Amino acid sequence: MMRRLHAWLLVAPMLVVLALFLAYPMVYAVRLALTDPLSGRFPSLVNYAQIAGDELFWRAVRNNALLPLASIAVELVAGLALALFLSLRFRGRSALRALVVVPFALPEIVVLTMMRYIFVPRGYANAALAAVGLPALDWLLPGGPLAWLTVVVVDAWHVTPVVFLILLAALSGIPDEIGEAARLDGAGAAARLWRITLPLLRPALIAAVLLRGVDALRIFATPLVLTGVEGVPVLSSYAYHQWSDYGNDAAAAAAAGALALASVVLSLPLLRMREEA
Amino acid sequence: MGRASLILLAGAAVVACQPRDRALTLAAALLPSELPAYRSVVEGFERESGWRVVVVPQQYADIRRALAAEATAGSGTLDLVELDIYSLAAAAADVAVLDETALAAELNALAPAAVQAGRIDGLRFLPHRVTWQALIYNHAMLGAAPRTWDELLAVARAHPGRIGMKGALYEGLTCDVLPFVWAAGGGAVDFDDPGARAAFKFFAQLAPALNPQSATFREASIAEAMARGEIVLHLNWPFAMSLFGSQGLAPNPIRSAALPQGPSGSATVLGGGYLAIPRGAAQAAAALQLARYLLSAPAQQQLHDRLGWFSARRDVAVGEGGALLAGFAAMRGDVRPRPAIADYPLLSRLWQEAFRAVAFERADPDSALTEAARRWAAERQPTPAGNG
Repeated sequence: MMRRLHAWLLVAPMLVVLALFLAYPMVYAVRLALTDPLSGRFPSLVNYAQIAGDELFWRAVRNNALLPLASIAVELVAGLALALFLSLRFRGRSALRALVVVPFALPEIVVLTMMRYIFVPRGYANAALAAVGLPALDWLLPGGPLAWLTVVVVDAWHVTPVVFLILLAALSGIPDEIGEAARLDGAGAAARLWRITLPLLRPALIAAVLLRGVDALRIFATPLVLTGVEGVPVLSSYAYHQWSDYGNDAAAAAAAGALALASVVLSLPLLRMREEA
Repeated sequence: MGRASLILLAGAAVVACQPRDRALTLAAALLPSELPAYRSVVEGFERESGWRVVVVPQQYADIRRALAAEATAGSGTLDLVELDIYSLAAAAADVAVLDETALAAELNALAPAAVQAGRIDGLRFLPHRVTWQALIYNHAMLGAAPRTWDELLAVARAHPGRIGMKGALYEGLTCDVLPFVWAAGGGAVDFDDPGARAAFKFFAQLAPALNPQSATFREASIAEAMARGEIVLHLNWPFAMSLFGSQGLAPNPIRSAALPQGPSGSATVLGGGYLAIPRGAAQAAAALQLARYLLSAPAQQQLHDRLGWFSARRDVAVGEGGALLAGFAAMRGDVRPRPAIADYPLLSRLWQEAFRAVAFERADPDSALTEAARRWAAERQPTPAGNG
């Protein structure tokens, strides 16, 4: 009995913190989202009806579904390529590995401010194009496909080092002898990658997809700083817009609730894959 | 427990039981850089009254939320708050009605339009500082600012893609739209009147020349675009001219001018911060005394001189900085408040959406306004409150 009490006492501070800063805000947000702000009626779907009638919300839903997919695809390809390359033995490898991690080490707001200066109409990217005689591009044109791609590339550039580090650690755990034996048996580089390296990397790849998948769903600052709320809206920037621009806490909570629900629903298959791996 | 601990405990109890000193808490939307100058102005009140003033710098939205929370709780620490003029109607129920007879001297010295904006079911808000927009243009590129809508159209055709408007979905867009509606003789609460239709037809003509980034421009980003030379003119608040001045871009090549005149003249939206006493303020009488001090001519003059704030007092000049703020000084007589109605957020959003439909989706102006009028009739709450 005393042991049990002692155990509860030890975890009590953390439980209090979790209750105050996680459980209470979540319950409050759900209640806010399901309360009619005018009549105070609960439960009510009036806030969801309001955001469902907003075209910007549906653009945010669409982007929130597609941006993470595109971003993770770029990150996996780039992260894997970098990990394979930097697992080879050559002079300067350590310096290059450190260099690759730099984008993730930079504070997000610093990265995004730099990127904004690069991609604005009279920014460095268009100056570079002009220098080689090419026409300027509307990198951040609101609602345009190029703005969407710019957001994907910038987001991927910032977080690819995470995928790179996960895969590099997994690659270093694959014994050299396996690849060597396959090479002696006549397997080419592509065959070794496809039949040996990638299958052995599968758990690490799933871990990377899981980690980045959940993280990518809550994408916020990249589209907001680069294109504003209206350029490439996502659910979190839409919730922020409702809260900040219209002081509509209830609609913001409803949008945030939709994002939380989507995160949970989409995480479940990823978690199952992780367990199977 | 040792003797020393007992003495310490007793000492702490004595300190804790001391009566609260004569302190007032004022929450105002001050930048960190503005706080020292503002504090020095408030020190005059502290010397005169013996009250200590705790100035809490916060954003308007946070002050609004703190006020609402204290109103719900029925008590709190705020004695005087500064609110964005945009949120006055929504905050009216949370603040006290002020005694106009006690404030007669101050009210007589203030611009009537600025006072009127603070009347919502009685006088509740006092203009702490006011501001308005003017045209900001590239003098080197244009030579002179367009004075009429026709001249503005001519500039737009000569500089396609380089006319900026704050077209993001936020209150700043309403502040860009309403001056045109008013300048065409329209009202701010009627989407169907001929003035609104004339203004939106003008927007449709202007649309092809708008900078494509206008769909996401806000105050800061449009000023950045102006500084980079991506646009040749836009509407903005006085801070933008201070910014350009600090960058060596104003008064040359960037200058301010009066807004172009429409068929019914010129108009600009009143902005700024208003003082109010929370409904449950513990020191309401002293808070009123502080508000009167802050509205006095010497205090308003100091706030103008040290912080560049515009005053609603008619005896405090605006924009004496010469060329930098000339356009703002020229607009002083044309400032109009937005409608102070409980449904203002919906009204504002509908103006924004109608503008965006016309400017960025090339919708027919009449159809966009008809749709806005339909939604206004269907969605507004039948609870008019105030002077709108």
